[in-house]
Amino acid sequence: MIQIEASPEEIYDIELEHSLLEANAKIAQDNREKLDRHGITAIDFMGAIGSGKTTLITRLVEKLKDRTGVAVFNGDATTSSDGDPIAAMGVPIVQIATINGCHLDANVVAKACAKIDLDKISLIFIENIGNLICPAEFPLGSKARVVVVSVTEGPYMVRKHPHMFLGAQLVVINKIELAETMEVSVEKLIDDVHKLKPDLRVIPTSCKTGAGLDDVAMAILAV
Amino acid sequence: MHELSIASNLVESVLEFANSPPPKKVLKVLLQIGELTCVEPEQLQFCYSAVVQETAIEDSTLEIERVPAEVACPHCGYSGPPKYWDDALAAAPVATLQCPTCGKAAETTHGHDCTIRTIRYVEQQPE
Repeated sequence: MIQIEASPEEIYDIELEHSLLEANAKIAQDNREKLDRHGITAIDFMGAIGSGKTTLITRLVEKLKDRTGVAVFNGDATTSSDGDPIAAMGVPIVQIATINGCHLDANVVAKACAKIDLDKISLIFIENIGNLICPAEFPLGSKARVVVVSVTEGPYMVRKHPHMFLGAQLVVINKIELAETMEVSVEKLIDDVHKLKPDLRVIPTSCKTGAGLDDVAMAILAV
Repeated sequence: MHELSIASNLVESVLEFANSPPPKKVLKVLLQIGELTCVEPEQLQFCYSAVVQETAIEDSTLEIERVPAEVACPHCGYSGPPKYWDDALAAAPVATLQCPTCGKAAETTHGHDCTIRTIRYVEQQPE
């Protein structure tokens, strides 16, 4: 341990106001402007592992691909298996393998944008890493952030992860066909979301029965 | 563990400052973290101490100051501390965007910081 010996007059304080999240926020802003110039809306899907983000995006792509040019950016820490059914539909998909693992950042989204023909696309679905904490601090340049929670994650998902919801524009409560089995109240989850953010839209869905999917698709087209 | 990427970013910025002439010895870094910023101070401290090892600032300390959240309501004009959700399952009451006065949706005005406020240092004398 090195001891610093200095009389008080030799000690300086420099005021900086240097934001550590600004570098990412700036690239996110650049992404947003670039996408806006091409008339593209990007939607960022966040949620825990197993909440059904991939299946939800796949259903939405099925519904929307004939109406508008869709692309998918698939963030995944290790595998590339998530993207395959989407690629089979002939929709451009970019796999983003993250090194740090816990969230996508604006820089990798900028790189992904460079890999597709932006003139043929008007909607990009970005699937974030399955994590309900880290992505909240890293905007990507999307026009809306969607949080996907499922009833299989138990009754306390919202109150355990409030930060994610504060920054979201839409919440999807997925796998509602299992709510009764899981003894989880969808109404209570919706109520929890509204305690945090009263005007946040919540759509209950089931990718199995198709319930609510048209509403999600319409909400996304209206963004 | 985004605290690690934030700590790396922080150390990089402080090193850049420390290495710019004249030579400086950094004693303390004061960081402000907003109440609404999803950064765990203890984890950040740990990551900082790990990242600074074997760098020019390895003897510096990190001080973290929490910045309280504030909201403004476009519906009723309220401005001030947010409404807290007491029985949420977080370690501490959770700040919400429900207006404390009218209950409609408020917007955050403070509490998203993650900012280097000051760096305390001494100028090093040439030996």
